[in-house]
Amino acid sequence: MAGRRVLITGVGSYLGTLLAARLERDPEFEAVVGLDTRVPRRALERTQLIHADIRDPGIAPLIAAAEVDTVVHNSIVRQPTTGMSARAMHDINVIGSLQLLGACEQAPSIGAIVIRGSAGIYGAEPHAPQFFGEEMTRLFPLRTRFQRDVAEIENYFETYSVRHPQVTCTMMRYQPAIGRSLRTQITRYLSQPACPTYLGFDPRIQLVHEEDALDALVAAVRRPVRGAVNVAARGTIGLARMIRMARRPPLPLAGPLFGPVTGVARRLGLDAYSDDFRRLLRYGRGVDIARLETEVGHRPRYSTAEAVEDWVRG
Amino acid sequence: MTEPSALAFMRRLREGLDAGLDLPDALTRGAGALPRDARDTLDRVLRRLEGEQQDDEWGFDEDFTDLVEPFFGFLFDRWWRVKVEGVHRVPAHGRVLLASNHAGILPWDATMISVALLRQHPLPRHPRFLVLNWAFDLPWISAFMRRVGGVVASPYNALRLLEQDHLVAVFPEGVKGTGKPFGERYRLQRFGRGGFVEIALRAGAPIVPVAVVGSEEIYPKLADVQPVARLLGAPFFPVTPTFPWLGPLGVVPLPSKWRIEFLEPIETASFGPEAAADRALVLELAERVRDAIQQALYANLVRRGSAFI
Repeated sequence: MAGRRVLITGVGSYLGTLLAARLERDPEFEAVVGLDTRVPRRALERTQLIHADIRDPGIAPLIAAAEVDTVVHNSIVRQPTTGMSARAMHDINVIGSLQLLGACEQAPSIGAIVIRGSAGIYGAEPHAPQFFGEEMTRLFPLRTRFQRDVAEIENYFETYSVRHPQVTCTMMRYQPAIGRSLRTQITRYLSQPACPTYLGFDPRIQLVHEEDALDALVAAVRRPVRGAVNVAARGTIGLARMIRMARRPPLPLAGPLFGPVTGVARRLGLDAYSDDFRRLLRYGRGVDIARLETEVGHRPRYSTAEAVEDWVRG
Repeated sequence: MTEPSALAFMRRLREGLDAGLDLPDALTRGAGALPRDARDTLDRVLRRLEGEQQDDEWGFDEDFTDLVEPFFGFLFDRWWRVKVEGVHRVPAHGRVLLASNHAGILPWDATMISVALLRQHPLPRHPRFLVLNWAFDLPWISAFMRRVGGVVASPYNALRLLEQDHLVAVFPEGVKGTGKPFGERYRLQRFGRGGFVEIALRAGAPIVPVAVVGSEEIYPKLADVQPVARLLGAPFFPVTPTFPWLGPLGVVPLPSKWRIEFLEPIETASFGPEAAADRALVLELAERVRDAIQQALYANLVRRGSAFI
């Protein structure tokens, strides 16, 4: 395919900026367009930036005018940053996705949409299979608000791809990312003076290294596949071992005390834990990455343990 | 550990601490005075303390399993005096599905099958167990189960384990087996919908039926207090002659006499993976496994004689 044209939403995020930088260096990509309200953290050479809010219906003509063949939807918020309300997060995720799809309807040039979604859709369950396959989203009820939002987003894209069979929608289900340049819930958690855990539980945690997170996205842009793809590092790691590797003292709390204690900690200015993250700390989650390796063609370089090790060294 | 070697260990440990080493270093120093096998164990404990444990993607931790083995070995040799037959019928490598009867509220039978394979099989291998789901809701128990090779009883897990050529043990009776009253002992419950056969067919794994005699007497269940069970989120709340009357002591299983027999494997690979969708075949094979176990249970009950002495 000569001269591909790609639009990236959420280009101001760390991963969005890196993706734009990677694609603009590649002569195969004739044009890279970035859409965000935030300014990218580093200078981009030939990426055209559109300063617009994804929740705004006004993006439709802008996207149509860009005449892109691929859209990378990278503005799904995984956890509210300080000062962002749960409501705003819901709006960006759900309304933003709706507006984006509305805009795509009016841009006939689009052949592929790659979404950076979340493995959070599977939830964190005591009775879960050790590794969720892509078809296992309906094993358990959706328990948290974020889970419901992700399920709703996935639903929109599924419906869209049924209505537009010529468009390939790739739903990338990301496990939480870790990396020196990232600040995610997991890196904040491991940077605290002590890491609260559930007394008597040692869940299996699976993460994805920032480099693999980016490479998987690039691989999916190059070779979009239909449907969902799990994105994660190889293997899982026990939470206790992860905390030990980060050289933090664990702070085991009995189940019923966990909420109140972390609630007090939040008021003292420490990190707030989302419901999803709390369930993750209790039950963990693993996903199967066979589809990522064989169909998308990205073999993660880091195992979960290596990813944590790399972050600790950094 | 003999008296002098223990003394030597303590002395070296003291010297180490006096010389200003911190505890792990001092322990390492002290370990130089220990006999070899004790030193090995200590090495492993130390490695664990330093966070260097090895676990696979299932959370199975071979070192930890070896560490707790002596305790289960004691139960095997002394407490339950387990007699094992036919252990050579378990294939020494490749995927295998063990299907066993299940009783006794806590999965002691699983641990005894494991000890039997590790001690008496010519090529010992660690089995993986599909454990009743509610165990994974519980603190400590969930972490412990995973470390010694337990996984959530999900067909996806069973299939993945078999595809990785593990030895997998299932209890097709499930919770119906553990929760049955004393009066129904050794009468096998329904084998679900034969899900375990489906998985064996899909993976092409032979099924080895296992009959365990003795586990029914360790907690003679006299009654079941459902309201308490619901409160605790457990499938049942048993009342035995000792539990809950003696508190935590009531969890000590009675020292019945055990027999474990591994039966002739049932080959499934020749049917091909598509056969997993064949309801009739699945139910027929499940019935064959159930029948084999039931016959072996009766035979072994007779051979065992008295339940306790």
